[in-house]
Amino acid sequence: MSAMPIEDVAIDVMTDRPWITLVWNDPINLMTYVTYVFQTYFGYDKPKAELLMLDVHEKGRAVVSSGTREEMERDVAAMHSYGLWATLQKDD
Amino acid sequence: MFKSGLGGKLTLKLDDAELGVLSQLFEQMAELLEHPESEAGADPLAKMLNMSGSTQISEDPALARLFPDGYSDDEHASADFRRFTEQDLRAQKLAALTTVRDSLSGWTGKSSVTSQQAQDWLKAINDLRLVLGTRLEITAEVETNFEADEPGIHLYNYLTYLQGTLIDALT
Repeated sequence: MSAMPIEDVAIDVMTDRPWITLVWNDPINLMTYVTYVFQTYFGYDKPKAELLMLDVHEKGRAVVSSGTREEMERDVAAMHSYGLWATLQKDD
Repeated sequence: MFKSGLGGKLTLKLDDAELGVLSQLFEQMAELLEHPESEAGADPLAKMLNMSGSTQISEDPALARLFPDGYSDDEHASADFRRFTEQDLRAQKLAALTTVRDSLSGWTGKSSVTSQQAQDWLKAINDLRLVLGTRLEITAEVETNFEADEPGIHLYNYLTYLQGTLIDALT
C-alpha cells in the first residue's frame, strides 16, 4: 500500500465525518410503536427509547443514530420498513 | 385482539366482523403494493439486476408515505437511495402482508402467533394505518376528529386499537 497524498487524506477526513439518521414526527405512528421500534431495532433501553420518541414528538425530529454513511443508509431503510419517517444526512 | 398468555405466548382473537374488515383491507393493501406506477416501461435489464426501482417519490401521498425519500436535502442521493432500496422495501412489506393474509385465510376465531409473525403483523397493521391515515388526511397541522361517525375514522380507530393490543402484548 502506498502512502496517501496529503490532499487525499484531507478529503478522506472530510468524507469520514459522521452521518446521522433523523426520525421525523408524524401524526399517525403511535408513540408506543415508535418507542418499541427504537428498542427493537437499535437495542436502546426503554428510558432512552422513550426520550428519543418524545424528542421526535415535541421537537419535530430527533437524531436516533450516527455512523458511516452506509450504516445510516441501512438504519434509514430499516426505519422505512417499520413505517417511520427517517432520513440521513451529514452531521454538520 | 392480541393477548400475551403464559410464557409470553401470543394469541390473536378476531370475531367475524373483524376478520372480514381486516381481510378486505389487507387485500387492498396488497393491490396497492403489487401495482407500483414504476412497473410499466421498466428497463428489463435493470429489472433483472434488481435495479429497476424508481428514483422519484410517488405522487400518491399514501405510497409516498410508505416509500419516503432517504435524504431531506439531497435529491440526487435520494434518487440513488430509492433506486437501490425501494424494491427490497416493497418486497419486505409484501412478505409481511402475505404472512398476515395467510393466517387470516381459514381463520377459526383464535390463533397463536409466533414472535416472527407478530413482527409481520405489527408492520402490516402499521402500513395500513399509514395508508388509511394519509387518505383521511390526518396531519400534524389539522386536528382530526377521531369521534367522527365516519367509516374511515372507525376503521382507523379500530386499527389503532388492534395495534395497541399487539404492542401491549409484546412489551
